[in-house]
Amino acid sequence: MTGAWALLGAVAVAGAIGVLLKLREGRISHRAQPSADLPAPVRDLLAPGVTLVQLSTTFCAPCRHAKVVLRDLADRVDGLTHAELDVTNLPEVASRLGVMRTPTTLALTADGTEVLRVGGVPKRDSLLEALRPHLR
Amino acid sequence: MPKDNPVDPRGPRFSAWMTTVVLAIVLLTGWWRLLAAQTVLFAMCAFISLRLNPWGHVYRYAIQPRLTPTTEREEAAPLRFAQGVGFVFALIGTLGYATGLTTLGMVATGFALVAALLNATLGLCLGCEVYLLLRRHVPALARPQ
Repeated sequence: MTGAWALLGAVAVAGAIGVLLKLREGRISHRAQPSADLPAPVRDLLAPGVTLVQLSTTFCAPCRHAKVVLRDLADRVDGLTHAELDVTNLPEVASRLGVMRTPTTLALTADGTEVLRVGGVPKRDSLLEALRPHLR
Repeated sequence: MPKDNPVDPRGPRFSAWMTTVVLAIVLLTGWWRLLAAQTVLFAMCAFISLRLNPWGHVYRYAIQPRLTPTTEREEAAPLRFAQGVGFVFALIGTLGYATGLTTLGMVATGFALVAALLNATLGLCLGCEVYLLLRRHVPALARPQ
């Protein structure tokens, strides 16, 4: 009988986690971070205009979906570049950026100022909308 | 360690459903030998090859021919990492049940079931969500590849 309750509990927990993560998926947060503290591996990726720096890990299947979305967006939009950084062996970079999960994408200007970040696989249209004021 | 080829992503989803069913039976019956068998299966997939997964064979011979073919492929590394996570929970669960610590067995099996169910229903990659957190707290975590 206890087993049945444990099973019900596990299903409920899975449901709650599922709903929570679906709600967070692709959400954009604005934070206008100053550029002083940007780790070198990220700084090296910066291009003129806005760079979408996607943090990935080897174990991450959705990272590939995010890559497809972002690469396609960068191809279509002038002044937008996509770069991927594998942080599997660079956990200190991820923690300095406050990134806990992959994929997380940071939108950075040429001087390294963070204009926004997206957790999970980005939604193309809402991301473009949010980036618009920063693109010339 | 042999490197697996990318796989049809629907195969692992089917496999996750089967794993969910197995773990649900374990929770309902407390049959720890079944959990021990699942632990061995997780270990073989994580540390040797995904091709050893019998559900993968069932998928290829019985289900895949009935579905529309897809060119979509999923890398094997995330799948093997997930199997490794499953292995850890299933091992703790088996030890719990086998040594009379039934509550420990149930909790660990419950965690494994949550992960398998999320993977089956949403294709959610729990490894992606927790890998960086794990790495932060367990700096020596070796790459399972």
